[in-house]
Amino acid sequence: MITQIVTTAMAGTRRAARQPGALVAVAGFYLVVTLALSAMWRAVTESRGGEIAGYDATSITWYIIVSELAFSVVPQRLIEYTGDDVVNRRIVPELIRPARPVVIRLAHEVGMVLPRLAACAVVGVVFGFAVVGPPPSWSGLTLAIPALLLGAAGSIAAQHAFAAASFWFHETRSAWFLYQKLVFILGGLLIPIDVLPGPLRSVAAALPFAAFAYAPSRLAAGRIDPGWFVVQLGWLVALTIAAVVAFDRGTARLVREGS
Amino acid sequence: MTAEVRALWITWRAAWRHALADRRALWSQLVMMTTNDLVWIAFWLLVFSRVDEIRGWKTADVLILLAIAITSSGFVLGALHNVRRLGDMAADGELDEALTVPVRTLPYLLVRRVEVLHIGEPLFGLVMLIVFADLTPARLAVFAYGVAMAIVIQVGFFVLVGSLSFFVGRNEGGNLGLQAMLLFSSYPVDAFGGVAKILLYVVVPSAFVTSVPARLVGSFELGPALALAAVAAVFAGLGVLTFDRGLRRYTSGSTWT
Repeated sequence: MITQIVTTAMAGTRRAARQPGALVAVAGFYLVVTLALSAMWRAVTESRGGEIAGYDATSITWYIIVSELAFSVVPQRLIEYTGDDVVNRRIVPELIRPARPVVIRLAHEVGMVLPRLAACAVVGVVFGFAVVGPPPSWSGLTLAIPALLLGAAGSIAAQHAFAAASFWFHETRSAWFLYQKLVFILGGLLIPIDVLPGPLRSVAAALPFAAFAYAPSRLAAGRIDPGWFVVQLGWLVALTIAAVVAFDRGTARLVREGS
Repeated sequence: MTAEVRALWITWRAAWRHALADRRALWSQLVMMTTNDLVWIAFWLLVFSRVDEIRGWKTADVLILLAIAITSSGFVLGALHNVRRLGDMAADGELDEALTVPVRTLPYLLVRRVEVLHIGEPLFGLVMLIVFADLTPARLAVFAYGVAMAIVIQVGFFVLVGSLSFFVGRNEGGNLGLQAMLLFSSYPVDAFGGVAKILLYVVVPSAFVTSVPARLVGSFELGPALALAAVAAVFAGLGVLTFDRGLRRYTSGSTWT
């Protein structure tokens, strides 16, 4: 089983690495988004006398570099595409494999993240040095790399857990859109969670979305707290179990009822 | 009404009817896009809960800018949806059908498809203006003028970057240009500094799509209003010119759409 997961992940990595055009497109889009959002936040810190919620221009820029990295390397429409595969029964041939379809899909998507992460990270680091100089903490930036991987894996598991709803409800195309918006605000993608008003901050910190983007980004901003790794691992395990259980029930229904 | 305009009108009307046929999908997509727009409003309100202004832009100014962005891009991506797909269609050789129709290819392609996801946005933008701006008939007229110019600039720019795929055979650059325009036009141009700010006036003209019209709604001046019209004319001309030149290099992909 472990061998099959690793082999599938490596196949995903090779597949993504063989698409240089797609990598350039992802990196280009990542650069555009990072440029826009980080400029806006530097303007905000400037308006606040150089600091907002403890972030200065340098730390907020590195925060955005990593939060957008966390967002850009994971396909944001996995819920829609996976749901389509379920609704259109493209998932059926996968049921005859000895491994669970969802496990193979998760491994493949996580494998595909690696080349995207490498391409975008190079762009992000060069951008950061060019605009604001070195990060507030080298150890924080280094720790952000495993945190990014954990966040990406958690996001992929969460999207599959959401997508499993299509076994019961045939129209889940719009779910990805709502999921994306939750990540935008409550995941700390567009706005650091520390900047949110008190009650909203508590809600955001209690939801899984913060583990995807906020956790690695605060590390890159120099806020090192190993506790967030535990939170990320916890959500990754919980969401993977949720995705596997939901897919098991859904495929059992599919086999039993045929629709 | 000339025969060509009539043909385009009938094509556009058919595209609207086709888009509105599936009522369930219509409502779910309208709810989806409204949620999206509400999230952006929430984002700006959260930002402005911490600052009074960002380089001269206050809450109401930015929300008017957002209203212009939502109204104009909603119209462009909803009512003229193929403008978004133009580069992919050119690169993949999917224009054969359009070339057989006895009307000009570019306008025919633009009106050929309506996307329901965006069609509620012009109305949403108008509601935003009513809610967040101190509305007067003059302001409404300036808003309408600004949105009209923003639509022309966006269509011209999207056609321009999409048509580049006639020459390079791929549309990654076109897609990036489109995303850059939509993204940068959601922020006040003064948030950017130095070279980036100049690029947003010249290369990706997002400053003329939202920031300049939003400033005009706040305080009308004839000079910037005329400059806006001139920029719209330039990008419309560049878009048409590049498409026409590119179409001569078009190679069929034997695909009938």
